[in-house]
Amino acid sequence: MTEALLKYFRTKEQEVKSEKRYDSQCPYCSMQCKMQLIEQSIVSRKKYITIGKDNPTSEGRLCVKGMNAHQHAFHKERLKYPLVKINGEFVRVSWKEALNHIKENFMKIQEESGQNALAVYGSASITNEEAYLLGKFARVALKTKYIDYNGRLCMSAAASAANQTFGLDRGFTNSLAEIPYTRCIILAGTNIAECQPTIMPYFERAKENGAYIIAIDPRETATTKLADLHLKPRPGTDAVLANGLLKVMIEENYVDEKFIQERVNGFEEVRKYVLSLSMKEIEEITGVPIQLIRKAAVRFGSEESGMIFTARGVEQHTNGSKTVRNFLNILVSTGKIGKPNCGYGAITGQGNGQGAREHGQKADQLPGYRSIENDEHRNYVASIWGIDPDDLPRKGVSAYEMMEKIHEGEIKGLFLMCSNPIVSNPNAHFVKEAMKKLTFFVAVDLFVSETARLADVILPASSYLEDEGTMTNVEGRVTLREASLPCPGEAKHDWQIICDLARVLGKEEYFSFSSAEEIFTELRMASRGGTADYFGITYERLRKEGGLLWPCPETNHIGTKRLFETSFAHPDGKAAMVVVPNIAEIPKEQLCEEFPLYLTTGRVMSHYLTGVQTRKSPALAARNIEPFMEIHPATAAKFQIQDQSLVKIESRRGSVMVRSKWSETIRHDTIFVPFHWADSQNINLLVSKELDPECKMPGFKVSAVKVSPVVDFLT
Amino acid sequence: MDKQKLVLIGNGMAGVRCMEEILREAPDLYEITIFGAEPHLNYNRIQLSAVLQGSTTFDDITINDRNWYNEQNIELFTGETVLKIDTEKQELLTDKGRRHPYNRLIIATGSMPFLLPVPGKDIEGVVTFRTIEDCQKMMETAKHYHKAMVIGGGVLGLEAAKGLLNLGMEVTVVHNGPHLMERQLDETAAKLLQTELEKQGLRFLFEKETKEICGSNRVERVSFKDGTEAAADLVVMAAGVRPNIQLAKESGIATNRAILVNDYMETNIPNIYAVGECVEHRGMVYGLVKPLYDQGKVLAKRICGLRGKGYEGTVLSTQLKISGVDVFSVGQFSCDDRLQSIVIFDELDGVYKKMVFEKSRMVGAVLFGDTSDRTRLLDMIMKRQDVSDLEKVTLFQALNRDGNSAASMAHSEMICNCNGVAKGTIIEAVQKNGLTTVDQVKKCTKASGACGGCKPLVADLLNYIHSDEFDEGIEQKSMCSCTTLTEDEVVHEMQWQGLTTVQEVMEVLGWENKEGCSACRPALAYYLGMIYPEYERKQENLYISEQRMAIIQKDGTYTVIPQMYGGKTSAEQLRMIATVAEKFGITNIAVTSEQRIHLMGVKKKDLSALLADLDMQVSSTYGNMVQNVKTSIGEHICHCDKHSSMELAVSLEKRLEFLITPYRVTLGVSACLHNGAGSTTKDIGVIGTGLGWEIYVGGSSGRNVRAGKLLSLGTKNQDVIEIICAFIQYYRETANFLERTWQWIERVGLVHVREVIFDFELRQQLLFRLEKDTMFRKRFSGKQMSGIEINNQQ
Repeated sequence: MTEALLKYFRTKEQEVKSEKRYDSQCPYCSMQCKMQLIEQSIVSRKKYITIGKDNPTSEGRLCVKGMNAHQHAFHKERLKYPLVKINGEFVRVSWKEALNHIKENFMKIQEESGQNALAVYGSASITNEEAYLLGKFARVALKTKYIDYNGRLCMSAAASAANQTFGLDRGFTNSLAEIPYTRCIILAGTNIAECQPTIMPYFERAKENGAYIIAIDPRETATTKLADLHLKPRPGTDAVLANGLLKVMIEENYVDEKFIQERVNGFEEVRKYVLSLSMKEIEEITGVPIQLIRKAAVRFGSEESGMIFTARGVEQHTNGSKTVRNFLNILVSTGKIGKPNCGYGAITGQGNGQGAREHGQKADQLPGYRSIENDEHRNYVASIWGIDPDDLPRKGVSAYEMMEKIHEGEIKGLFLMCSNPIVSNPNAHFVKEAMKKLTFFVAVDLFVSETARLADVILPASSYLEDEGTMTNVEGRVTLREASLPCPGEAKHDWQIICDLARVLGKEEYFSFSSAEEIFTELRMASRGGTADYFGITYERLRKEGGLLWPCPETNHIGTKRLFETSFAHPDGKAAMVVVPNIAEIPKEQLCEEFPLYLTTGRVMSHYLTGVQTRKSPALAARNIEPFMEIHPATAAKFQIQDQSLVKIESRRGSVMVRSKWSETIRHDTIFVPFHWADSQNINLLVSKELDPECKMPGFKVSAVKVSPVVDFLT
Repeated sequence: MDKQKLVLIGNGMAGVRCMEEILREAPDLYEITIFGAEPHLNYNRIQLSAVLQGSTTFDDITINDRNWYNEQNIELFTGETVLKIDTEKQELLTDKGRRHPYNRLIIATGSMPFLLPVPGKDIEGVVTFRTIEDCQKMMETAKHYHKAMVIGGGVLGLEAAKGLLNLGMEVTVVHNGPHLMERQLDETAAKLLQTELEKQGLRFLFEKETKEICGSNRVERVSFKDGTEAAADLVVMAAGVRPNIQLAKESGIATNRAILVNDYMETNIPNIYAVGECVEHRGMVYGLVKPLYDQGKVLAKRICGLRGKGYEGTVLSTQLKISGVDVFSVGQFSCDDRLQSIVIFDELDGVYKKMVFEKSRMVGAVLFGDTSDRTRLLDMIMKRQDVSDLEKVTLFQALNRDGNSAASMAHSEMICNCNGVAKGTIIEAVQKNGLTTVDQVKKCTKASGACGGCKPLVADLLNYIHSDEFDEGIEQKSMCSCTTLTEDEVVHEMQWQGLTTVQEVMEVLGWENKEGCSACRPALAYYLGMIYPEYERKQENLYISEQRMAIIQKDGTYTVIPQMYGGKTSAEQLRMIATVAEKFGITNIAVTSEQRIHLMGVKKKDLSALLADLDMQVSSTYGNMVQNVKTSIGEHICHCDKHSSMELAVSLEKRLEFLITPYRVTLGVSACLHNGAGSTTKDIGVIGTGLGWEIYVGGSSGRNVRAGKLLSLGTKNQDVIEIICAFIQYYRETANFLERTWQWIERVGLVHVREVIFDFELRQQLLFRLEKDTMFRKRFSGKQMSGIEINNQQ
């Protein structure tokens, strides 16, 4: 909490009068650091301090985001009442009015244009209970097939890759506790030092214990500084780099023949393919010198244990899924999985990025990581929900594709929960246009976000300090976020809003929940026997045991610390390798005379997602007041760009204006801009709409752009 | 609920150390009992050789005294041996017939010296080297006898031999192998060691196996299997130790060479654990202190129910504790077809260093003559660091040959390997507790509290911390030479004690110079003004009053500056100015860089009348005040629209005029990127851009030009005004007198300033107080006219 310095006494505050404490978990990343907010009442005002609480994941640490997380929750612009737009202005209404208004419009749209004319857009920031309930709401209350969520833009590539290679997607195949003891670590496209700072000590300890760390990132970050070897590939060429690593490992015999023999399918095809490649060509494509590729491969191959971590840097591409699979190819062919101190970790971005992708918010998915196209799965979930399986819609489309359907007019109404798609989606200008075309649009949020501005109704939601529920963290550990602060004004929990809306829509019998725990009890049943089996997890156990790693099929099961110790999750028990061609199916934008630079995007330490919460937090805004464009001074000189000056960045889709920041450590052909800002500084205005054909991930991490100084010449 | 009973068998280093860890992790978890067969408190067995060599005393090697046991509520039975463990009933039986129950039991029975099974081993004059009693016996013997023989050329044997030599005996070391310390040293290092020790006076017999110890009443001679013999009055058996496992074995606990434990130091019997020399872990039995302490840590966590990783074995390193001999050995030291080495052998200085590698990883090292690199090498070996990238010669270059080796270490590097104490920990302890001796450091951090091998390094570090080189603390400067108090302390006292005049401050706070000086007098006046807004009025005199309206010049005349907000004026105003100038004969009229007209050379007698005739607001920014805002009006370098920037500048001037500040504050508002008002070199500068207003702070156009830093962005004029006003008020409230904005920003941090003024509530508070202060000063300024008139009448 920010405290002003005191030199003169007239400004001095009185003694603390009373103190209250609220347990919660930080909303700002997948570490889900446990913490406690201390509210001290002083004569004239309230003072807040946040302290970390011990837990197996963050061990009591907090970063600057956690320490200041309460600032947005207490912000004066927090929504406290339902708002309805009348003649272009938001007007406060009662819940009853708001709900009836929604009911009338939703019913009208469905009567006129069919069930699927309504769509639901969810979030990976909400609890498991809410993600589960939202999926059920779409299928049971609205009976629409169109539901997807912002995790599509975040975790879909890693999730689909892990599902395809291992047969199961849990972010980390091991618990974090094993990291300090591994001998070699590959950090591919992940900037944990800024995105998940409290995870860093695990890697620092590994380094202290002698681990060799290889970072893959086109620019130097606080994370790559930890590395012993930093490879800087050209953006979008990570899959090719992985082929290079594989080729060296296979040629120089660092693969684990026995492991491959017993536990892996598809190695031979991969071997043949990578051996046919030329290292020279790989060097040319990636821009990484052969000797560095070889060094990394030999290091990883020759150590007795090793781990690979990926994040959005290699995942947010139109071949993101395949790229991750190629890193998994490395892992399984060297046998570094399913045993101590070996394994894979997808560093989840959002607070509940893991749990929110398991229980039915995804277009093609049902709770427990079940498939909506599998009859057995449909029957089971329908039985839990008490509906006829035939009434259960089939699969819909992904997040961005939903925006296209809106644009085309197929989808006319939208229920949006805790997300800001006009900022977070690619081709953001088009998405904004689409949202404006909606006949009726309901947003649930803490603030009037850039997207909520376009809504017809905004419903006030509760924050992490108020909303109890389970969150599944980066490890795949299910945790119980305690929350007991009363909601401000008339704000409600997301799950209450869903239940209320279901009630006015006449579906009360399926949504008669009076606590998050009741929803969780149903979620446990619905996930039972599925891949992500939560059945053995209860609130009581979570309180007592401090978090459990799924799958946890029985109430006496201790959770699963290490996956794949004896077999993988495919029916034959084997991992599936796959050939990842150097040339991707969807071509990426190439540089040309007009657009001569690669743009890549990412986070900064003090902000989160589209910044709706963090930009309003004084201590976080104080650290980064605006976005910036990192550019190499040599490149800057070429385009007449001074340090710390305003520049215009343009792609074929649009343009933004930001300030330049010279960096000696970024590639000459690449610029970097963080993505937490909106409107004229929304970098996603520049990103193409092309999606990964396998997981529908947009290619956020590479666009061809041009840069120019914002006029400083006299005209 | 009754506490669980935790019992420790063995009051030695490993067991008690583990107990300390348990007490640290969970001080109140257990009711603790310790049984020790020796009649002593817990002492540092390793240091016995130092006692024997005369470099320390028995008293100094006690680790925990009786008070410690009392304070920790530990029930201690010394001189009492546990005979039996009833693992069913969970109960112990001692040689004093005591039965004692336990819930959890730790066996730390250590080991016993190995007595060669030769005839005569029990005769008087044959001793081992394990306990205080052994040590005392040797010291006693040395008083009456001359010839000592030590059987065993290992670490213990050599340390005993050196001790006896120091006690004045003639000492022969008998060794069955071909060279000394063959478990730690290669032949070259061993020969160097032998030469050194021979120089000191020891004699050696190699490849001799003892056949018999002969003598009638006491030892007289020792005969060997090769038929030779040698005379001796004292025989020290130092041929190794055997784990003490009798008790465990008889109680049904699984043993092999020692008590078998898993990675968590658990035996095969539930609730029974073992730690120390009596333990066999993954086939290894350890006799050095570091592994025993490592085991103790793991066990403590286990017993306290805490998460933690199991014990995985320890890399062994040895340092011979004989003064004047530097020998260090770690890991593998001899080469075979798997291992390769790098060696330097400097016969000139008697230095030998060998590093052994497996592929590109160091797996062992032997150092003789210069062991200063041992910590670094040990670290590399423990981390299994790959050296293929390193220029190999650097491995041999001591980090800081001429200087202090502790200085060049990283904070995280271990100083004390046994206890795992890092350099940073020691620095912190020294600074926090004002430690000055190695002993204090030992007590506080445990560094050098085990084997004592790092004592020189701790001493180095202490020297370094207390040297001039070491520069971590920031010393507070006093306000001026009149007082020892800092500026902040003075301001604090002024408020605390309610001091209301400069004189009072100097008297009450004991100014050395009763009159103050040119540094403190204006500063005190400023602070009084900040603390008591009414101060200036009370202290009012003509000088200050006139300043508010006009600026006095060197020649005694005044300059009057009609206020023209934003640098804009009108025909009427100009006409008025012209009229007044003519009437009072003002010929010296200038248009200045602050975008105002200055009427110079006004005579004192005319001032009051002139001001009355002028009938305009006057501007006076002389001294430490907010200056008029520089604008880009009239700049013709661009055609950008200036309207909005003018509005902003005028609003700012009106809100901030007459405000006293720690130092004069310059402002500029530029309409566009062309920066016509030079905003980037002002204390506060605003520039219009395509993104709205940019607000820069901390710029300076003085002799040392500084560019301002971007404080914030604002889209609406009202936001910009609020941010700037809050910034100025926060500067006023927290900066020292004469502290420039850039100095203040550097001191408190730009991010901190932003945190405060971005915070809605804090910003509102700042704006409220600023408003109060300006209102007060404006009211005050409004009354000046009459003030001057009164003065003139006198």
